[in-house]
Amino acid sequence: MPTTAVRTLVVEDDPHLAAGLTENLRAEGYAVDVAADGRLALEWLREHSCELVVLDVMLPHVDGFTVCRTLRAEGNNTPVLFLTARGDPQDRVLGLEAGGDDYLAKPFHLDEFLLRVRAILRRWEWYRTASSTPASAVLRFGGNEVDFRAFRARSWNGAAQELTEKEAMILKVLAEHPGEIVSREDLLERVWGYDVFPSTRTVDNFILRLRKRFERDPANPIHFLTVWGVGYRFLIEGVS
Amino acid sequence: MKTTRVFQITALLLVVVSVIQVGWWLYDQQDYSTQKLNAARLSYAREVAAAQALLEAGTPMARVQELLPEVAIVNDRADFATAIDAALVSERHRRINQYAWESGFFLLALALCVGVISRALRAEAKVLQEQDSFLALVSHQFKTPLASLQLSIETMAKRSLSAEQARTLNERMLSDLARMESMVSRILDSVRLERGRLDLKPEAVELATAVGRVVAQFEERAHQEHIALTADVPRGLSVLADPLAVDVVVRNILENALAAVAAVSGGTVRVAARAMDTEVELSIRDSGVGFRATDTQLLFKKFSRLHPGGGSSYYGTGLGLFIVRRMMQLTGGRVSATSAGVGKGALFLLSWPAAPKQTV
Repeated sequence: MPTTAVRTLVVEDDPHLAAGLTENLRAEGYAVDVAADGRLALEWLREHSCELVVLDVMLPHVDGFTVCRTLRAEGNNTPVLFLTARGDPQDRVLGLEAGGDDYLAKPFHLDEFLLRVRAILRRWEWYRTASSTPASAVLRFGGNEVDFRAFRARSWNGAAQELTEKEAMILKVLAEHPGEIVSREDLLERVWGYDVFPSTRTVDNFILRLRKRFERDPANPIHFLTVWGVGYRFLIEGVS
Repeated sequence: MKTTRVFQITALLLVVVSVIQVGWWLYDQQDYSTQKLNAARLSYAREVAAAQALLEAGTPMARVQELLPEVAIVNDRADFATAIDAALVSERHRRINQYAWESGFFLLALALCVGVISRALRAEAKVLQEQDSFLALVSHQFKTPLASLQLSIETMAKRSLSAEQARTLNERMLSDLARMESMVSRILDSVRLERGRLDLKPEAVELATAVGRVVAQFEERAHQEHIALTADVPRGLSVLADPLAVDVVVRNILENALAAVAAVSGGTVRVAARAMDTEVELSIRDSGVGFRATDTQLLFKKFSRLHPGGGSSYYGTGLGLFIVRRMMQLTGGRVSATSAGVGKGALFLLSWPAAPKQTV
């Protein structure tokens, strides 16, 4: 149980489900606010901050995927746990690529829901702790400079970059192991939770995005190297 | 969909090949008949020449005419009979026309067959698509109350609840079960309506009693969702309709109205009735999300679910108002809906034939 009340927002249009989730989160010690549709959720999140959004996908006015994409576009990196009746792999990928952290299909077990909430918050806590000192908050490589706390970066050509939460987390995991091979599975487990994705291909897409941001020639990377069949190796100095 | 596309491409190729084939037939026939005409003309010219040679050899004109009756002999000179040539040209035209008409008919029949089959395949594909969408929708509609039910049960098992909390959870679970039961009823109703398996027997139905019964069942829900639900149906107004159909129709319209008002966080739903000339009209006016005038026809279509702000939504099964319209059609009644626009509420009017006084 959290020592201080971690604030969460439940976005669910079904009043019964919203009430059930709220009661259980409160029983676990979380502070909970509720929004009944996507528009209200966006309004709430623009005025308040919280540490987790439990977001239904099928919502009136604005659907959950759009809410999440809008948040990310506005630079809001609050973790999102999607809840939806549509649990097929395609929808999962769609939700997670919209910027979600985890995806739970209805109907779900209460313990699993609470476990996932804790896992997301734990990952988030790890990221915050790992970026808490001035030395660990900033990463410099190949003329790029990344500020993990602000989710901002300046690339080698001087371009300002806004990082998504997942991009920053992947970079953080890689930066913690410079020169070492980090497997795709390790990246998945550290950043998303191992059982979230149906495949590891999405990790590859995020690495491509990082290369586009920070490599001088993304087609011939010198910092984010692929180790075929295993994962990735991050080199601060780059390949000479 | 893939089968339909393959058929459409194949049919298009068939039509194109047929048009080319028919074009070739016509060209070939024209060429053939021209050759035949020329050959006939040449043969006729030979006959004329032979007749002339006979005349010049001193054969009597009558004898020549007897031997070559188609040659015109005027003043001891053999010549072409214009009627014969005209007949040859006419025969050629007739044959070409015959082929052109027959080819046109063949192409038309082919196009019609392709059109009919293509239409049938499209309709079948649409039905399959509707069924898929229906299954997806139904599964979604069931999963939400199911998730709520599971959450309530697991909450009861996991937490130490006060008597009050346990009572709230019980009510929630019963309500979730009622929602699922209502959905099953709607789905079954819509299937029966489509297959014509509803045995509707019109009889005099006292509207105040019928409406009052349904309204009473919704009062608790209306209260919870901050909706003022009122009914003003005078006693003595009776309609000629199937009692079950009246119940289903009023229930569906009310459910729709409550959902529309709940979506704007509360308001009013007013039910009223009045006697018209030969009919009784029941009106259900809500202060809910309303709809755009252009969506009026969509409201009663199967599987159509309108989003308050336009676009699709996941409210309801998309069957409620479809059931209402079919039920009203089958019981000789009418239903109509109007709204001043999105966010401005809606008015549903139901009209049934008035029951004869003596049957009340």
